Amino acid sequence: MDGKQALDFGASSDFPSLLRRHGLLGPVAQIGPMNTRAEIVPTESTTILAFKFSDGVLVAGDRRATSGNTVVYDRADKVLEIDRRSIMAIAGVPATAWEMARVLEHSFQFFRRTQLQEMSVDGKVRALSKLLRDNFGFALQGVGIVVPIFATYDVKASPSGRLYFYDAMGAQFEATDFAATGSGSPAVRGILYYENTWGKKPLQKISEDEAVVVALRALDTASEADTATGGIDRHAKIFPIMKIVAAEGIRTLPEEKIAELFQNRVA
Amino acid sequence: MIEEPYRWVEAIATRRDYIEMQLATGSPVVALGYDEGILLLTVGQQKLFEIYDRIALGAIGHPGDIERLRMAAIELASTEGFTRSAADVSLRRLAYYSLSPVMKNAFEQIYGAPFLARLLFVEIGTSPADDLFLEVEYDGAINLRSSDGGNRPFAVLAATKKSAEQMAGLLSKRFQSGKDLPATLDLALDAWTVGQLKTDEAMPGEEELRRQRSERLGSGTVSAAVLERNTNRAVLFRAVEGSKLAPLIPK
Repeated sequence: MDGKQALDFGASSDFPSLLRRHGLLGPVAQIGPMNTRAEIVPTESTTILAFKFSDGVLVAGDRRATSGNTVVYDRADKVLEIDRRSIMAIAGVPATAWEMARVLEHSFQFFRRTQLQEMSVDGKVRALSKLLRDNFGFALQGVGIVVPIFATYDVKASPSGRLYFYDAMGAQFEATDFAATGSGSPAVRGILYYENTWGKKPLQKISEDEAVVVALRALDTASEADTATGGIDRHAKIFPIMKIVAAEGIRTLPEEKIAELFQNRVA
Repeated sequence: MIEEPYRWVEAIATRRDYIEMQLATGSPVVALGYDEGILLLTVGQQKLFEIYDRIALGAIGHPGDIERLRMAAIELASTEGFTRSAADVSLRRLAYYSLSPVMKNAFEQIYGAPFLARLLFVEIGTSPADDLFLEVEYDGAINLRSSDGGNRPFAVLAATKKSAEQMAGLLSKRFQSGKDLPATLDLALDAWTVGQLKTDEAMPGEEELRRQRSERLGSGTVSAAVLERNTNRAVLFRAVEGSKLAPLIPK
């Protein structure tokens, strides 16, 4: 790429199309004829959950990465920081998901730098939707399905914590209280629904410590029946990753704190 | 005809005069190191920009040309940072390899339009010795100042060569390392004021400088940005908002 070529452009704020122009991002996957469609392999083996609580949004994910029946890795990080106030949590094929997160992170920064303002929350939510849509052809071929959750904090809205979940085609849904995705999510969704409806307090009213306990119990329950969810590894002391999105930004909960709450209120 | 070498040289000289004339009213930009980073300051319209995590840009010139160059720099840095890593984005390479050849080319193609812009890039390193101040002229010439070679950590952009020299003179005389942000803002504003003097004006005394400064600041908005060395954020650029800036400026 010589400099002349780089200057030869119409102003663009879309980072993925810039990458495609330079051949740095794979093509948009074409959807083939339906009769040649491969069997869709449900590979979103994981449990990711997120819910709003009194201080913001808590996002938690187990640590297990699997390939078929094999546990490949037990310290995977599926809760990824995209910018100061946005988290993308991923269920699905790691290679595609991490690449998406990277594109998204750079897209937001690129937009801010070129347009001299933050991208709006709606713009960010839509950007992820577009990436999923572009990837759908691969998902149909059974190689790269990603079903993420996106949590962010909108200082201009009330309540400020915003939570979205997606399907593999890129449809976005805003969650009022909670969202869960991955193979272990049915159990988690049941627990969160129960807690929110018949628990002592609705999820949006509970404290940070209570929120951590709910998340730990939910992930533990998910791993009880779902082999693809790591839950809590009591032997090796591997705990889920938990991050909180709040007004001041993103905070990763220290492992000691999670361990302590686990010992006292979950184990 | 322009094909004759002499005519070409003449045309280039005319073009140089034309560009200098176009740039002659630009508001100066000051980049100045302080205890926790590097400050960029100017007065007037917005022309301090974030290019990448560790790189900032200040400019004098036509807004349209500044915009094209700014976009090119952001695109180059962003694609590099995306494909490899933020640590691989290098200001030296951006300027020498990408911007300078294009600007030189545009300047020397006398049937085409040159870039009416003078750029000052600043890259903050892990220690003050790694900081870079890099100026790119409208003809592609590069003036690199690293704090490493015993240079003091500052650079300026001014409308004329004389103004730039006067500003640099003041900064050399008054710069002291380890100053905090308000003290650095104060010195940068003095340097900016010196950059606004008419070409035949002599360097004013301290009191006269202060008077001129408050007079000029009354009719313009100060804009400032910093590259902060000691933060745990990846993006070290931060624009200092007007509301936070006002209390920092010594009267």
